[in-house]
Amino acid sequence: MAVAARSIGEALVMIAGRDRVRDDGGSLDAATVDGVRPRWVVRPASIDQLSRAIALANDGGLAVVPRGAGSALELGNPPSRVDVVIDLTGLDQVIEYNPDDLTITVQAGMSAGALAALLAPHRQWLPIDPPGIAARTLGGVTATNASGPLRARFGGLRDLLLGVRFVQADGVLTWGGSKVVKSVSGYDVPKLMVGALGTLGVLAELTLRLHPLPDSERSWLVALDRPQAAQDFVARLIDSPLQPNRVELFNDDAARLVLGESGSAGVAVAIGSVADAVLEQGERLGALAKAAGARITPLPEGFWSRVDSAMAAPPGWTVLHVASLAGRLADTIDAIGDIVRTASGAAVRLNGCASLGTFRVLMRGASDAGMAAVVTRVRAWIAEVGGSVVVARGSVELRKAVDPWGPVEPGAFALMRALRDEFDPKRVLNPGRYVGGL
Amino acid sequence: MPLSGPFLQELERIVGIAGLVRTPEGRLVYECDMHTFYKGAPDAVALPTRADQVVEIVKLCRRERVPIVPRGSGTGLIGGAMAPVGGVMIGTNRMDAILEIDLPNRCATVQPGVINLSLTRAVASSGYFFAPDPSSQMVSSIGGNVATNAGGPHCLKYGITTNHVLGLEMVTGAGELVRLGGKGAERPGYDLLGAAVGSEGTFGIVTAVTVRLLHAAEAVKTILASFTAIEDASEAVSAIIAAGIVPAALEMLDELMIRAINEGTGAGYPKDAAAVLLIELDGPAAEVEAQGERAARICWERGALEVRVAADVAERALLWKGRKEAAGAVGRLAPTYLLQDAVVPRSKLPAIMREVIAIGARHRVQIANVFHAGDGNLHPLILYDDREPEELERAKAANEELLRACIEMGGTVTGEHGVGLDKAKNLPLQYAEADLNFMYRLRRAFDPELIMNPGKLLPSHPACGEGFRPTRPRVPDGAWI
Repeated sequence: MAVAARSIGEALVMIAGRDRVRDDGGSLDAATVDGVRPRWVVRPASIDQLSRAIALANDGGLAVVPRGAGSALELGNPPSRVDVVIDLTGLDQVIEYNPDDLTITVQAGMSAGALAALLAPHRQWLPIDPPGIAARTLGGVTATNASGPLRARFGGLRDLLLGVRFVQADGVLTWGGSKVVKSVSGYDVPKLMVGALGTLGVLAELTLRLHPLPDSERSWLVALDRPQAAQDFVARLIDSPLQPNRVELFNDDAARLVLGESGSAGVAVAIGSVADAVLEQGERLGALAKAAGARITPLPEGFWSRVDSAMAAPPGWTVLHVASLAGRLADTIDAIGDIVRTASGAAVRLNGCASLGTFRVLMRGASDAGMAAVVTRVRAWIAEVGGSVVVARGSVELRKAVDPWGPVEPGAFALMRALRDEFDPKRVLNPGRYVGGL
Repeated sequence: MPLSGPFLQELERIVGIAGLVRTPEGRLVYECDMHTFYKGAPDAVALPTRADQVVEIVKLCRRERVPIVPRGSGTGLIGGAMAPVGGVMIGTNRMDAILEIDLPNRCATVQPGVINLSLTRAVASSGYFFAPDPSSQMVSSIGGNVATNAGGPHCLKYGITTNHVLGLEMVTGAGELVRLGGKGAERPGYDLLGAAVGSEGTFGIVTAVTVRLLHAAEAVKTILASFTAIEDASEAVSAIIAAGIVPAALEMLDELMIRAINEGTGAGYPKDAAAVLLIELDGPAAEVEAQGERAARICWERGALEVRVAADVAERALLWKGRKEAAGAVGRLAPTYLLQDAVVPRSKLPAIMREVIAIGARHRVQIANVFHAGDGNLHPLILYDDREPEELERAKAANEELLRACIEMGGTVTGEHGVGLDKAKNLPLQYAEADLNFMYRLRRAFDPELIMNPGKLLPSHPACGEGFRPTRPRVPDGAWI
C-alpha cells in the first residue's frame, strides 16, 4: 500500500505529541544505524504510545529500530531498512518494587545505573555487569543478552528475567512469565525475548529477580601466565567448596589495561558472603593458588569498576564474543592468540568467565578484511568445540564481509524463521539485523 | 478413535512387537498419571529405544492426524501424561541410557527415560549432583522433569529444571529432529531451548538432554524451628530472605500436617506447634555456620517454641523425614485430597495463610499445608472423602477460590507441577487473550498440526479452534493511507 511520508509523520505526532517526534536533520543524523538514516525518531512517553506507534509502522510497512542507550547498535547485520527509530529512554518508570520479595518491575528504558541506585538502600542488586552497564538500559541489556563477570555465579538475563511485557510487530501489547520467583504457568516467554534483539517484540516492561547484596566482597588476582595453568587452576576452584561471585580471566594486555604495568595474565576471583566467610574463603583461595604454583595478590577496592570502564571498547576496536567450554579454556585462548597474531600482529585484549568458557575479545589493528579473516578462522576452530563467535561490535564493512552471528544449526534455524514469519511477517522490527538475516 | 489395522502394523514395524502395547489391559496402565482424576487410555502405546524411531512415529501420526501423548514415568500431578482424546502414547522408559558424563565441562547427556536420582548416583562418587529434586526423584524421568520444568525443595537456591538444562535433542510435532542449545553457555539466535523446557510435550518429544552438574556443597546445616502461630513462621520466612540469606530449602508445615505426621511416622515435631519451619543451608562451612546462627536467631525473635539444629546426617534425615512423608501422612486424615500448587509473592505468605483458613471454613473442608515457603509456592492439600460426591464439590470450590486468591495477590497458578489438563482452564486467570494468543502461535511453530499432547497446557478456546484474538491498539484514522 502506498504511504505518504508527510501524513505518517502527522500520525506519529498524533500518537506521541509534537515534542516526541523528531524529523530534523540533526536528530536523524544522531539516530543513524550503521549509516542508515531513519525518517523519524519517536520517544514514547507511555507504553500505549509505544504500542500505537508500532501498530502504525506495521500498517505503513515501515521498519522500526528500537533503541535504548544506543551502546550496542553495532551488534548484528547492518539493517536493510530503517524508517522509525524508537527511543525507549522515556519509558523509565518503576512499576512495582517489593524489597521483601526480591523482585522489581520496571519499564524497559530505565538505566541499570538508576536501578542500582534504587536498590542499594535495600542492600539488593541486579547482578548483571557487562562493560558500561550503568548507562545502558535494562531493555537493551535484555534484548542483547549482555553479561559480564558476575555471570559466573548468577547466570545471565535468562536466569533473572521473570516476566516481560512487550509490543508485538502488529502493536499488540503482550505479557509473558510472572511476577513471582517461581512459575511454570504456560510457556517460558521471557526466555524467548532475551537476546532476541527485539525481533519478536519491543520490550516495554521487565519483572526482574533481585539478589541480596553480599555483606562483604573481596577480590584477588591469581597470576597464571600459561593458559593451561589457568585452566587447571579454574578446574580445581570449581571443584572446591568455594563459591566465587566472579572468576574472570584476563590475558596480559587486558590485565595491564586494568591494573597498569604491574598487571599480568591471570584469573581474578571475587568472593562475596558474610565477612567471616569471605576471609576464610580468601585463605583457602590462597592455598589453592599456592598449590597451583601461582602468585596471589589482593585486588584493590574498585577493581571491578575499573574493569567496567577499561574493558569498554574504544572507538574503532572490534569486539568478539566467543563461547567455548570450561574444559577447553587453554585451547581456546591459544587458538585465538595464534590466529590474531598470524593474521595481523594486532593487539588482543581478552577477558572472560573462566568457569563457563565464555570470552570477550577486543582487537584492533587489522583491516576490515583482516578482521573478517580472523573471525572466520576462530569460527572454524570453535566449531569443533561446539562453540560460537559473535561480532558484538565492529565496523559496517566487517559485518558486511562476515556474518556477525555465525552459523545456526539448520533445524533450530528453521524454527527461528517460522517464529519470525509468524510474529513479524512484514519484517517491521529490526529487519535483517538478526541471525541469518531474519 | 480406534487406530486402523495398517496404522498399527506400521507402528509395530517401527518399534517392534516388544515396543508396542495395544491390548486393553496393557493400555489401561497408561490411562492416567498421578492426578488420577483425569483418565483417558491411549489407543496404543509405543515404547521406542532410539530417536530415529521417534521421528518415524511422529511422521506417521502427523500424516494420519493421530494425537501423540509423550510420557516418562507418569509421576506428574497435572493430568499431563494421559490421553484425553486417545491416540498414540510414546513412553520414553526404554530410552534410559546415560550417553555421556563430561566432568571437565560439568555436564552429562542422557536419554529422556533416565531416572532423576540415577544420574546423581552415577556422578556422586566424583562429588557432583544433578540439582533438580522433585519429591518423585527416585522414579521420575529426566525427560519428564524437562517437560514439566520440575522444581523441588532445593530449587530455592539452585533454581528449577530450566536452570540446569544446557541442551536438548527433540523431535518436533512436525517430525523434525532438532538440536536446541548445547554444552556451551551461549549461542546466537532465539533461546528455543528456554521455550521448550516446560512445554509439557506440546512442542515435541525430547530424545536426549544435556544437563549441568553441580559440585556438592562442603557443608549442610538443617534447622527445624517450631512456632505457635503460622503467622510467626511466615514472618520468620520473610525475615530470613530479607536478611540476605538464601537457604537451599525453606519448607513449612502447618498444624494439621504436623498432627498427621506425628501420628503417622513419628517425626517427633513438638505437639503444640502450629507451624514447623525446616531450614536447610548449604555452602562453604564458615558461611553456613554464620548464616545458620543468624537464621536461628531470627526464628527465636519471631517467637519460636523450639529451634533444633541437626548434629549429624542421621538427625538431618530425621528432620526431613516428616516433610518427605507429608503427602502420605494425610491419608490418616481423609481418604483423598486435591493438591494445589499456586504461588504468591513470599511477602504475602501471612495473608494467604489467613485466607486458606477462611476458605477452608467457608467450604467446610480441612486444608493441610506443606509448602516451599522460601519461594511462596503453596501446596495446600484440600481433604475430602471420595465416597461423598458432595464433599468433592466443596473441595473443588475451595480449590478454585484459593487459586483466585493467589492470583489476586500477584501470584501464579502453578509454581512447579505444571499446567497439564488440570490447570489449562485456569490460565486465563493469569493471562490476557493477547498473551494466550502469543503462546498458541509459539506452539504452532513447533507443532503445525497441533498433534502433540492436545488439550494440555493451553486452554481450548470457547469460540474457535484458531486460538485467541487479541485487541489491536488504536492508530490514528486514515488520512495517511
